[in-house]
Amino acid sequence: MKNLFATGIAALALCAGSPAFAEYPNDGNITFVIPYSPGGGFDTIVRQFAPALEAAMGTTVIPENISGAGGARGGQAVHRSDPDGYTIGVYNIPGLTVNEITGREQGFALDEVTWIANIAVATYGLAVPADGPDTVEELCSGDSPAKFSDTGATSTASVTTRISMAIIGCDIVDVTGYKGSSDAMVAVISGEVDATIKPISSLAKYTAGGSGDLKLILTLTENQVIDGVPSATDIGHPELAKFTLNRVIGGPPGIPDDVVAKLEDGLRQASESDAVKSWADGAGVTIDFKGAAETKAMMSDLASFYADYKDLVSMPQ
Amino acid sequence: MGLDALLEAFLAVLNGGSFLYLAAGVILGLAFGVIPGLGGTTALALLIPVTYTLDPLDAMYLAGGVMGATSFGGSISAILLNTPGTAPNAATTFDGYPLSRQGKAGLAIGASATASALGGLIGLFTLLLFIPVAREVVLSFGQSEFFLLTVLGLAAIAVSVRGKLLRGLVAACIGLLLAFVGANQFTGDTRFTGGIDYLWDGIPLVPALTGLFAISQMIELALKGGSVAEDGLSAVKMKITGVGSGILSVFRHWTVLLRGSLIGTVIGAIPGLGGTVAAFLAYSSTAQTARDRDTFGTGNIKGVIAPEAANNAKDGGSLIPTVAFGIPGSAETAVFLGILVLHGMEPGPAILLYNEREIYGLIVALTVSAVFASIIGLLLSRVLVLITQIDVNIVVPVVVTLSLTGVYVLEGRMADVLLTVLIGIFGYLMIRFDYPRLTLVIAFVLGETAERAFHQVRLISDGQVVEYMLSRPVSVILILAIVVTFFLPAMRKLPQIRRRLAGGR
Repeated sequence: MKNLFATGIAALALCAGSPAFAEYPNDGNITFVIPYSPGGGFDTIVRQFAPALEAAMGTTVIPENISGAGGARGGQAVHRSDPDGYTIGVYNIPGLTVNEITGREQGFALDEVTWIANIAVATYGLAVPADGPDTVEELCSGDSPAKFSDTGATSTASVTTRISMAIIGCDIVDVTGYKGSSDAMVAVISGEVDATIKPISSLAKYTAGGSGDLKLILTLTENQVIDGVPSATDIGHPELAKFTLNRVIGGPPGIPDDVVAKLEDGLRQASESDAVKSWADGAGVTIDFKGAAETKAMMSDLASFYADYKDLVSMPQ
Repeated sequence: MGLDALLEAFLAVLNGGSFLYLAAGVILGLAFGVIPGLGGTTALALLIPVTYTLDPLDAMYLAGGVMGATSFGGSISAILLNTPGTAPNAATTFDGYPLSRQGKAGLAIGASATASALGGLIGLFTLLLFIPVAREVVLSFGQSEFFLLTVLGLAAIAVSVRGKLLRGLVAACIGLLLAFVGANQFTGDTRFTGGIDYLWDGIPLVPALTGLFAISQMIELALKGGSVAEDGLSAVKMKITGVGSGILSVFRHWTVLLRGSLIGTVIGAIPGLGGTVAAFLAYSSTAQTARDRDTFGTGNIKGVIAPEAANNAKDGGSLIPTVAFGIPGSAETAVFLGILVLHGMEPGPAILLYNEREIYGLIVALTVSAVFASIIGLLLSRVLVLITQIDVNIVVPVVVTLSLTGVYVLEGRMADVLLTVLIGIFGYLMIRFDYPRLTLVIAFVLGETAERAFHQVRLISDGQVVEYMLSRPVSVILILAIVVTFFLPAMRKLPQIRRRLAGGR
């Protein structure tokens, strides 16, 4: 009897499910999960993309904030939803990648996620006070280790700081615990710490062109992106360009390929829309669209890259 | 420069359209303030999508209206039901609720409304004076100063417990234990989470406070039965007890008002401390230094004026770091920053140069709404005091439903609701066995900052914590303040001892 009941439910689910695939996305609203509270970087980019995505897909897109556990709760919610293309989410990458490498249980595996697209990327820069050292070499030549400021020990910026400075061979103390990246940057301005590594777009409001309180002395990029500021390649460590902050879109495991293709196309159109472009220009966000296949490759690439530095990633203070 | 923008913003408020947004914000703020569990942060978070389609200046009026009105709204439930509407109103329950029980709710509400409005005005006036030196103020507060401020707050616990020192210390220790639940900021390890990922980010503040104050108080009321006001106090008597004398009391105790406002502005300006700490420090410093300090906690009107003035003044103060550096000074300004970003304004030092119109619009909105909310509150106060006469069989279900809904709305997590109920039961046990709840809250709020800041100072100073602190002028001032707080009770007893010695001779 129980089996019969279960089969009945399954059959009903199939009946209800199949036409939805056929007509996708005309069968309802798309829920776009944001793994952080309203107002932050993840929230802003999704809310800016939502209207353009809506226009491209021809259905309503509802951003939903499911915050907590460093972005893992939002990821879990997406993971548990039906793979029908009506629930997608933005993922905290490489934060979740680092969690996984350090063996922290987060309720789902990143390699099971159906990757749909990468919509934006942020590159990092190393900043010191305006009257601070001019080169990384000078910064690292002091008697005691150079002090850096960061938010949490598992934040992407902190992991980036520890690994990249170890690669360069610079002895540092990463002072974590600042409440936000603005606090961490102000700690450099007030002279509480010596330097910080943060997205170049976030540093911009304090560096030349902004208030001029901070000075960029290195960008973790392959090529020089700011005149006169050396890139990672310039100092002989092109691998540092691997450290980026990505806004990656994914869905639950098993979304059919045609649905993924439609979502990928919708996100591509949204990223090319005038509204998103003009917002990105004003907010200093770099739109960097990558399709599903490319995003999947990038994610496995990132996993093996961070796995190489497992010891540094999980290093407690 | 700034004056033109200020004048323009004031004129815009006189224009009907803008005033409508401001009024909508005030009414929303009052409602969200009165309902325990909800608050300015929730109201602003819910407003984010709404402000999308608005002109940036109108969005500022709406947000400013909410921010200016919630704290007064919260004091109403603190006074009438011993249930702070928002977290910072917790200190108002100390003397506000005893006044209600004595049938003097009108006096307390009148004082609270006036202190809120004037506190808000003083806070904003200070903000205007501060803007030119905001940079220096913010830069002079580092992790060392944060740590010492939390120690000052913890030291003040000794004042709040009043003769129940051991019970107070037990409650404070529980608060500290709760503060350390969640991921360690320094190692990334999770502590005391019992394998529950909900606890990774620690015990969330709003559910904890709602449980501890609103739910526990409702359990107490439900078991007691009757109504809030003590038996024998008729509605007629409640009405006569003057709102007018409440208003006058604020002017009579203008030094209390000024002290509360200044503490509020300064604490508000320091990112990471917020209104709860501001209101509590204002209360404890007033109670510590007053001549009639023995009557605090039994219905002293100064115990209502000080925290309410601080609570509204902190709104102005918390705009200082927001405006100067884009660092939120409170949870509300954190959400407010999100609204700025959505409207294409980049928070930080440049905002005063490029978005003068919007920032001064916000200042005007905060000023007008603080006054406007108080006027509405005063007009309604005669009706509001009747709440204390309503049968608890009606009050309890309404408050419980509203506060649990509020907790759920904030993050949409059912686990928050469960936590609220559990902490509510715990809070009731604290009432039942006479353990101070506010002590627990202060330790809970300060514990996290204290731990974090201490580790940061340790790393920054290469382990030479004391030397590092002594080399910073603001730290030295704070250390002196802590020493005074510790020894003040002993110093007060000196004359008595001397007298006794002289008498014995």
